[in-house]
Amino acid sequence: MTQKEEKRGSGFRILGMSPSEISREFFSSGTGKVASALFIVLVVVSIYSYFALPSNFGAIWNNPSYWKFNPDNAPPAWINYFTSQKLAPQVTVHPLESVTTYRGVTYISSTFSVENPYAVPWQDIYLVLNGIPKNSSAAVQLTIYRPDGSSMPIGPLQFSGSYIDLASSSQVKNQILSFFYDKGESITLAPTQSPIPLLFQAVKNGKPYTLDGNYTVKILVTVFGSVASSSKDPNFITVIMRGNVYGLMGTDFEGHDLWEGLLAGFPIDLEIGIVSAVITMVIAIVVGIMSGYFRGWIDEVLTRITDIVITMPAFPLLIVFSVLFAWSLWDAILFLSILSWGGAARIIRSMIMQIREAQYIEGAKIVGARGSWILRNHILPQIMPYSLYLLVTSAPGAILTISALNFLNLAGSAYPTWGNLLYWADSTGALYAGMWWWVIPPGLLIAFVAVVFILVAIASEPVVNPRLRYG
Amino acid sequence: MGLLRSLGFRAINLVLILIVVLFIISYALSGPASSVLENQVKIEARAVAQAVLKHNPNAASQAQQVYNTIVAQLEKAYGLDQPPIIRTFYIMWDMLSFNWGYSFFPQNYGVSNGKVVNIIASALPGTIILDTLGILLSAIIGIYVGTRSALRYGSLSDRGVMYYAAVSNGLPQWWIGIVFIIVFAVMLREVHSPIYFPFGGILDPKYFGTWLVNPAAVFANVSAVLNLLWHLILPLLTVLIVNIGGWAYFARTVVLNVAQEDFVTVARAKGLSENQVVNKYIIRPAAPAILTSILITIPFVLFGGFLVTEVVFQWWGLGYVYNIAITAAGTPDTPVVVALTYASTLLYIVIVFILEILYIMLDPRVREQ
Repeated sequence: MTQKEEKRGSGFRILGMSPSEISREFFSSGTGKVASALFIVLVVVSIYSYFALPSNFGAIWNNPSYWKFNPDNAPPAWINYFTSQKLAPQVTVHPLESVTTYRGVTYISSTFSVENPYAVPWQDIYLVLNGIPKNSSAAVQLTIYRPDGSSMPIGPLQFSGSYIDLASSSQVKNQILSFFYDKGESITLAPTQSPIPLLFQAVKNGKPYTLDGNYTVKILVTVFGSVASSSKDPNFITVIMRGNVYGLMGTDFEGHDLWEGLLAGFPIDLEIGIVSAVITMVIAIVVGIMSGYFRGWIDEVLTRITDIVITMPAFPLLIVFSVLFAWSLWDAILFLSILSWGGAARIIRSMIMQIREAQYIEGAKIVGARGSWILRNHILPQIMPYSLYLLVTSAPGAILTISALNFLNLAGSAYPTWGNLLYWADSTGALYAGMWWWVIPPGLLIAFVAVVFILVAIASEPVVNPRLRYG
Repeated sequence: MGLLRSLGFRAINLVLILIVVLFIISYALSGPASSVLENQVKIEARAVAQAVLKHNPNAASQAQQVYNTIVAQLEKAYGLDQPPIIRTFYIMWDMLSFNWGYSFFPQNYGVSNGKVVNIIASALPGTIILDTLGILLSAIIGIYVGTRSALRYGSLSDRGVMYYAAVSNGLPQWWIGIVFIIVFAVMLREVHSPIYFPFGGILDPKYFGTWLVNPAAVFANVSAVLNLLWHLILPLLTVLIVNIGGWAYFARTVVLNVAQEDFVTVARAKGLSENQVVNKYIIRPAAPAILTSILITIPFVLFGGFLVTEVVFQWWGLGYVYNIAITAAGTPDTPVVVALTYASTLLYIVIVFILEILYIMLDPRVREQ
């Protein structure tokens, strides 16, 4: 900035305050500090979510097979800090050690070890192999070295498709049961009960209990044929141990990672608030200025329209059009904005009615100023700050209305919205199962974003309303 | 005369809104959405034609003729042969005369013949009970709290009320309902509390059948009324928690403004008791202004919030029926959704009109013009 511009900048005043005075006024109150801190948090998290989530996250979210290895309806992992019954978390490892080919047969061996201090161990183990040709057959053999010195052999299991699900194999079940049977313990499992937890348990008098300690798992995959060159990739073999708790925020009924779902909602809600507020304000300012400045029949017509728009029941209309035209989130936001400028336009109109009677406007007219000049130099600077304030106050309403619409499973976007997460929670009965990790955070975040906008509005009230400033 | 004139003026305005809403919906239905109806007509006609063919496999041309006749007749009956703008008025007339047609999926509502007008009539009492009680109680409590807080301006309790009002403005009402269900219905059951609330619904199943056909019969039965009140507690509490803040905030602002007026100082100087000053010189002149602020916020905050709250509590009202119509069948039940929008607009306009009358009764400036 050059010195000249700086001088002009310091001479710039809105409502008799320089920009630095305005910011000082805004930050002088505790509310202003809290509001701006929270707003920064909101923006930072939105930016973070933009970079942290893959660009095709919407497609990923709506693809159930992407989430099939995750536990369903699992609480977040950190509940282990608050409970005595420790639950095993989701574990994913890439244990590839070596790939050797001998006489047309490829041997892939891998080893990994896990610690098991959990009262409720893992429920299932998936073995995912990428790069095995569709037509070649493969077999998998596992050996589990347990902390009590024993070792449990599993397999060989026939491998087909892209992954193997140990819990669903009756061979695995029989092998585990016979392992304990050899030790003189007999266990009965319900038909749908997974045998996998027994891998990490010892049995006494037919009752399994957790065997604490370090487990080493050796996996040998034999492929009758050659494998793709990508086999040097450590992602070639992935072992997923399905936990009972998952990540930061748990999972929903399809195993979606709720943390990612919640993260995706941040930029959406911020955009809903800002976009709808901006559209609303642009319409309100244009209508307010037109009817306040031109008066006459224009004013008469616009005031009638404003009256109708103010009383128009936006929500039922939003529902019916979302249903009839399968509206997207953005259609709904646009429509909502078109129906919600009434109140702001009325206020701006009355402000302009007051301003245009002022003597300096009369003076400017006498000197020969044109209407557009007066508008730009006398009227807009006076109504702008208040318009910005109105802009901020109209954001929470839009956020709440659109969330309610999402809660009815309308006006969807490719990305999950907080309202839509709650729709699924409600329609799959998560409410009545008390799945708080799925039900509480989305609503809390909707409220958080709305309250941040409200706090910003409260903090900027003394700036735009001089009566409050000196009162 | 002035009273009647201003009331009439407002009534005309509200009727205008109803007609605008009606026109927008009808126009949408007559244009893009009419293809749904056309398809339905064709499916119906095809079923009849196939029945003819089944009867006499050689009568292909006859079946075609039957098909054409039925399509033509049905299209005429539905007005599909008319240009969209004429059809718009047909639909408007049907709406106005409560000729709302039949639901696509009548089994989802449990109302006997699947007539949309019956479905909505069965849902109306629930919405009226929750909305009226919710608005009235939250207004009474909110204005009381707001006035008290304005009279203790700057105190700790005043600031507490202010922050509560600000935060409650940003709370999704229906989500508070969800939290209440989790805490007072689910968790209380889990800890084997002797008292726990129902998960939702408007009445126990044994009374609900009666409620659907004849709500008045339910009110004749004392235990059924108690059951209704028992189910009402959580939804009402939800509505109150969220809405009291708004009323309190407006009441506080208006009362603060009035309390600085000269006539209040004079009243105090005359030696009137504080109670008299507050009731006669502050609250009375403040009342119309409080109502005006509320009238502006009703469309958004109150109305939408109430409808979705019904969904959460499965409270048999317009909002819950909305939810069933949209989500229960996989494809939306268009006739019900459209009629619901019209009915809720109607209800909303009645509520606004009642508030307008209240406003005119409270404001002598309007009344005695």
